[in-house]
Amino acid sequence: MRPVEPGLADLDERALVEACLRGQSAAFDVIVERHRRSVYLLCYRFVSNHEDASDLSQDVFLRAYRGLRSFRGQSSLATWLYRIGVNVCLNRLSAKKPLSESIADRQFVDETAESATDRLLKDERGARVRAAIAQLPRKQRATLVLRMYHEMSHQEIADVLGSSVGAVKANFFHALSNLKKMLGGEVL
Amino acid sequence: MHLRPDELIDLAEGTRAESSAAHLAECAVCRLQVAELKAMMSAAADVDVPEPSPLFWDHFSARVRQAVDAEGAPRRSFWAWPRVVIPAISVATAVLAVAVTLNWGRADPGIAPLPSVAPAPVALPVASADLLADPQSAGDTALTLVAELSSDMDFETAREAGLAARGSAEHAVTHLAGSELRELQRLLQEELARSGA
Repeated sequence: MRPVEPGLADLDERALVEACLRGQSAAFDVIVERHRRSVYLLCYRFVSNHEDASDLSQDVFLRAYRGLRSFRGQSSLATWLYRIGVNVCLNRLSAKKPLSESIADRQFVDETAESATDRLLKDERGARVRAAIAQLPRKQRATLVLRMYHEMSHQEIADVLGSSVGAVKANFFHALSNLKKMLGGEVL
Repeated sequence: MHLRPDELIDLAEGTRAESSAAHLAECAVCRLQVAELKAMMSAAADVDVPEPSPLFWDHFSARVRQAVDAEGAPRRSFWAWPRVVIPAISVATAVLAVAVTLNWGRADPGIAPLPSVAPAPVALPVASADLLADPQSAGDTALTLVAELSSDMDFETAREAGLAARGSAEHAVTHLAGSELRELQRLLQEELARSGA
């Protein structure tokens, strides 16, 4: 991996963007390093598998790079990347049927102080919930992911999805109701 | 009448106090729905994303860098395009207007034919001659050929022939990119060389 230039690592977002626009591609490496995990997690929440989440995350950064000149600093770089991520994921969802989560996707789990049995049960439960979320219609899935895992307000979600607050709440309601139908009482 | 989905969500999320919904106290169905929504939110919130291998991140950054390097410099923003496109369209429109005006003159029977310009064997309108007299285009044999080919065609004829209509060759020519125009010029020059012009 190319080492980050010492001066770049200390720059704030705006300075990094300006450095990129001046042709310092190493500045974009710093942006990627700072935001790659949050972008990946967002994508994973949408597609529920590592392979697609990795591809989508790469696509998010590539689109961000292409559109870097349009970043005006009105929102944070994280929020801007986030919006790109949501659009990329929604486009993918409309183009591709949801994939079920593979066993291999569950292998890299951060071990914590929980007991092995508790961890295993939680993982199993989590896998079932993720699989159910992956079966939701795209708008319901997007609404649930943005609301539950990224703490966006209903208004922010409405802005991203191009709908009304009422529609977002209705989608959220139906998403949770459908999850309940799919999971039954197993996670309650 | 039961509570609407948005009201149920507000109650389940706690943005609206249950005490403010009088209906809830007397409706077991709505109370159950709120309880189920809360339970599903709790279940969903408890789901972690499996962390990728630490090695993945270096590999990921390398892939992004490779894609970005292949991309070149960041592109001009959407809002910057009008600064480039509008003048270009203005110039193209002006050139088109001049060309149409020149051929319109040919359609007027009151205007006498103009002397031909060497080396073109066909008589050219004065404006075309002026165009060819331009020091930058005088030596351009491709331009000379185009001028010759179009010199006998007036505006009405061109319009009746459907020239410059979308999908026509002329329309295509006026919408060619720089590289495509250079290729067209090369082909015309080849044709000129072959015909011995």
